Amino acid sequence: MNKWLNRRPVKFLAALLAVLFALNGGLISGGVSAQSESVTLTMSAWDVATTPYWQAVIDAYEAANPNVTVELVDIPSAEYQDTMNIRLSGGDDTDILTVKDIPGYSAMLTRGQIVPLNDYIEASGLDLSVYSGAAEELTYEGSIYALPFRSDIWILYYNKTIFDAAGLAYPTNDMTWAEFDALARELTSGSGADKIYGAHFHVWRSAVELGTVQDGLNTIISDDYSFMAPMYDMVTGMQKDGIIMDYGELRAGNIHYSGPFENGQVAMLPMGSWFIGRLVGDQAKDVFDFDWGVAKYPHPEGVEAGTTAGTLTSLAINEKSDNKDAAWDFIQFYAGPEGAKVLAGTGNLPALRTPEILEVFASLEGVPAEATEALQTTTVRLELPMHPNVGEVEQILNEEHELIMTTSLSVDEGLEEMTSRIDEVLE
Amino acid sequence: MGTMKLSLKTTSPSRRRRQFSKNLVAYSFILPNLLGFAIFTLVPIVFSLGLAFMSWDGANEISWVGLDNFAKLSDDSTFNIALKNTLWYVSATVPLTMVCALGLAVLLNQPIRGRNIFRTIYFFPYVASLVAVAVVWNMLFFPSAGPVNEFLRTLGVENPPRWSASIDWAMPTVVMATIWRGMGYYMIIYLAALQGIPAILYESAEIDGANPWQRFRYITVPMLTPATFFISIMLTISSFKVFDLILVMTNGGPGRATNVLVIHTYNTAFRQFKFGYSSAIAMVLFALVMGITIIQFYMERRWVEYSQI
Repeated sequence: MNKWLNRRPVKFLAALLAVLFALNGGLISGGVSAQSESVTLTMSAWDVATTPYWQAVIDAYEAANPNVTVELVDIPSAEYQDTMNIRLSGGDDTDILTVKDIPGYSAMLTRGQIVPLNDYIEASGLDLSVYSGAAEELTYEGSIYALPFRSDIWILYYNKTIFDAAGLAYPTNDMTWAEFDALARELTSGSGADKIYGAHFHVWRSAVELGTVQDGLNTIISDDYSFMAPMYDMVTGMQKDGIIMDYGELRAGNIHYSGPFENGQVAMLPMGSWFIGRLVGDQAKDVFDFDWGVAKYPHPEGVEAGTTAGTLTSLAINEKSDNKDAAWDFIQFYAGPEGAKVLAGTGNLPALRTPEILEVFASLEGVPAEATEALQTTTVRLELPMHPNVGEVEQILNEEHELIMTTSLSVDEGLEEMTSRIDEVLE
Repeated sequence: MGTMKLSLKTTSPSRRRRQFSKNLVAYSFILPNLLGFAIFTLVPIVFSLGLAFMSWDGANEISWVGLDNFAKLSDDSTFNIALKNTLWYVSATVPLTMVCALGLAVLLNQPIRGRNIFRTIYFFPYVASLVAVAVVWNMLFFPSAGPVNEFLRTLGVENPPRWSASIDWAMPTVVMATIWRGMGYYMIIYLAALQGIPAILYESAEIDGANPWQRFRYITVPMLTPATFFISIMLTISSFKVFDLILVMTNGGPGRATNVLVIHTYNTAFRQFKFGYSSAIAMVLFALVMGITIIQFYMERRWVEYSQI
């Protein structure tokens, strides 16, 4: 009994060590053999189940490169950047990192988590001018760290059935925000469950603030935010008069913009072009049964029609990746003409837009005929410029946006607080 | 300890060895947990303590900044707001949860029909998914058409509060959700303590002519003080570290109305990449909780009764 007690912990420890060594050895040998035979790449993505293009492009790539397998790391869209930041701080080695927005791009870039692609681009002889300016927007201090594959712009969606019922003409491609406001007021009718709202502003800060930078005189990172007052005055005024749904309720109910639009509760919705794919898909599945159309994004007085704001979605290579060359080959495909064609075929706007690729998009079943015209742009402004403190600035902008929209602060008070708080950060 | 030393002095080498091997067995049982604690809790705590005096963005070089992080705190308006909100939240949730838990425990200690079902119902929120609880509360308190405001309107309240969509009411809404979620758990602790009160105390009090309130005030409450003490410590600590419920319900908003210290710590670390500064905030929170817990232990002998019956 005595000896047994004595030796048991020793045996236990020895067994534990043996298991640990075995595990370790297995992992190492597994890694080596995988590299010599075939390559498995991992790629971060969001909402894989409801976003068909991720897998579609991968399927096309794997068909052309049978020795490569690409696995998606699925993260919920709303938590994507927070999750990535935490994972990367912990040394995550996912090979291909999808860059969702500029704050995410700045965060990964300034912290050296993604590699500059200039050498790869030079070696492959890739011509960046095909991205019509998008590549320049991703260039920081002479280096580019990501290749754009999707480029979305803000447009105006409208419910044709509501317009027909009201006997009003559809929105034109040349509409000022003041005209938009007046039209929305005409379209609002009913009450209670039957109420039709003339327009819908989603809870995002960008839904209001993009209209303030269309003229190109200011950017979202500024030392004086009073320039945002006209747009905030208009939107809070619409909210007060019941022309749009209440911000606080949309927040509390966590209501996605597709709900009110697809339920036929709102006549007009300013939103990004990424929503086209969703609407086409949902209409095909009979989620809703009204006709819808798209027009150019409304613009401030004196600004040319077709001026809008845009976002880029791009792909970067993780600094910690063991398969950088294979990853480069994949992102070149994804952002190149083959990938673009697959993307367009799923109802998404690729960053690479040749007439041929746009034709694929426009001829998709369910894309409204107005789309071709509405998607023509004259100037595209970036939602947020590159800046090392952009994460902190964005948080303040979001907090003050919330205070203005819940009428906790008046428009002027909110913008003053925004100015003074952001001044402190930028000092 | 004293007795062990004594026995060791008088034991033979073989008995000492047996004692040692017994200890070894005990340690090996503790080891898995201890390893987990050391790797996932102790090391990060020590690391974070060091980080509080450094500047680090999570990727680039770490640099020593001494007390700069702490000096910055007083100028950080969000820190001041979060500190105020945290104290507000703690001083509301701790006493209210205790009162509700005690009230429920006393009621459900009566011989009423179906009391086990009620006990289960009140305990249920504690085991329900926190995200579901937060979403359902937001639905209940929906400003225009939520059941709570509909009810208030039928009572004649013309402008019911806008709850989580208003800076004045967001914190009370979160406090209510916290109380509702936590009271069942503390009710169980109180129930157990209530059942440990000897019936003879009540009987003799009744013979002496004490009315129900007097029996509650002079027997139940003092006899429950050890449980109350335990609950006050647990509640205070858990209230100070509130994070998940607020993140899901309001994300610290509207504006900064429900931003508490843990949310601010999280934002500065993982949204702004100031890991050093964030650790300094965490250390302030740690010192605060530590200080209050020590005071609570110090005060214990003044009001907690450990009766010997």
